[in-house]
Amino acid sequence: MRINEEKCIGCLVCTAYCNVDAILPTGDGKAKIDPDICVECWVCYRNDACPHEAIERTPLESFGDTFKHVISDPSETTAETGVPGRGTEESKTNDVTGRFQEHEVGIAIDMGRPGVGCYLYDVEKVAMAVAAAGVRFAGADSTPLAKLMIDPDTGKLQDDLLDLHVLSVIIEGKVEIDGLPPVLAAIREVEGQIDTVFSLGLVAQVDEAGNTPVLDMIEECGLDTPQRGKVNMGLGRPLYDG
Amino acid sequence: MTHSLHRCGDTAAEKDFVWLMYQSKGINDEEIAEKAREFIEVVEEVGSVNWGDVKSGPIVALSKEEVLDRIGDKSRLRGVFTSKEQVTDFLTRISEKDIGLSVVIAGRLDLILAACQKADVPPHTINFSLGVFGNTDRLPEYTVLEITTMCGHHMVPDGIVENLLSDVRRGRISARDAAEELAAFCPCGIFNQVRAEEVLRAASRTG
Repeated sequence: MRINEEKCIGCLVCTAYCNVDAILPTGDGKAKIDPDICVECWVCYRNDACPHEAIERTPLESFGDTFKHVISDPSETTAETGVPGRGTEESKTNDVTGRFQEHEVGIAIDMGRPGVGCYLYDVEKVAMAVAAAGVRFAGADSTPLAKLMIDPDTGKLQDDLLDLHVLSVIIEGKVEIDGLPPVLAAIREVEGQIDTVFSLGLVAQVDEAGNTPVLDMIEECGLDTPQRGKVNMGLGRPLYDG
Repeated sequence: MTHSLHRCGDTAAEKDFVWLMYQSKGINDEEIAEKAREFIEVVEEVGSVNWGDVKSGPIVALSKEEVLDRIGDKSRLRGVFTSKEQVTDFLTRISEKDIGLSVVIAGRLDLILAACQKADVPPHTINFSLGVFGNTDRLPEYTVLEITTMCGHHMVPDGIVENLLSDVRRGRISARDAAEELAAFCPCGIFNQVRAEEVLRAASRTG
């Protein structure tokens, strides 16, 4: 995104529309958008933030610009996964896909969320920490971040993209249920090494009462018992049967 | 994506349940428009205060027919209920319809699981929310977060919430109108304007 200097009157109304504080006063009575901070979510553009139509879209010329727009604007569809939003079905279709089996626990680390945004160098730190603890990442056909990983075994991302700023991106993977404690320990350790936030979700198949051994492990690892959850009701067809 | 999972705030407890209709790529992702209409029939009978399609927008900004007319195979329908009774009613009806698409409900687990039992729809998989980690000093004030997390893709900017809250406090706009204005920012239709109105009204009294 950019601000057309000729149309801008410097009212700064647009600043409230920016999710990541990328719109700044120029010092000469105008506003500008810092392209390194802007995540191309297009919230300002879509919601007519400028009463003088000074906010304009810029061409998404590089892979990095395209990636950050597609991952930050949920109306876009990630080409490789075929899924809009942030490009992944995760547990929402597990009844049909069997992506997370009974003996596995899914790890969904929602980097930059809620509402802070994140640079990919912080994403890489967390990905490498959980990979070292045993997490196997989802592939590029099911999660957008995998496309940026030059080494899926370690979580290493492309060096030329580490300074890319996005609104949020999900690190997705899984481990055997018994392998969860070291992953949670790694998450607790690496959280102090990053300058952003992340929301953490753990995915498991459950019995009729909603129970799973994962809940006991969460408690044993010193974390609070989850109060909120996203429940797949098993109504998708055909039901995954292995 | 976990945008419906990590909502903040005590008021989320009993009046905020997100529903999702999901097809799976390469398995059951064809002829979605017809299935979506059947799905929405049930949603409307139960009474969802907001719903939409990320590809077009929410019913608080577009007419319901406009949203339905624009549905394609990449669409994802989502919305929000405001009571546990609605969740039970919805699960009962949608399981009887047997549309064949995945159905997901997000919210307070004890209430959802009780609804599952009443509707005789056992849960299959749960994504458990463990909360927020990292440099939490960077988070905005809690009231803002209560509202912005109702659009998990964060299409509702903090600054707009702060401006509207200020306007509610000064009597320039009602809490209801401010909540509906905020709901239009969330393209998926999972923003709960009923709950947002309560949050804004409570915050305007204490601010």
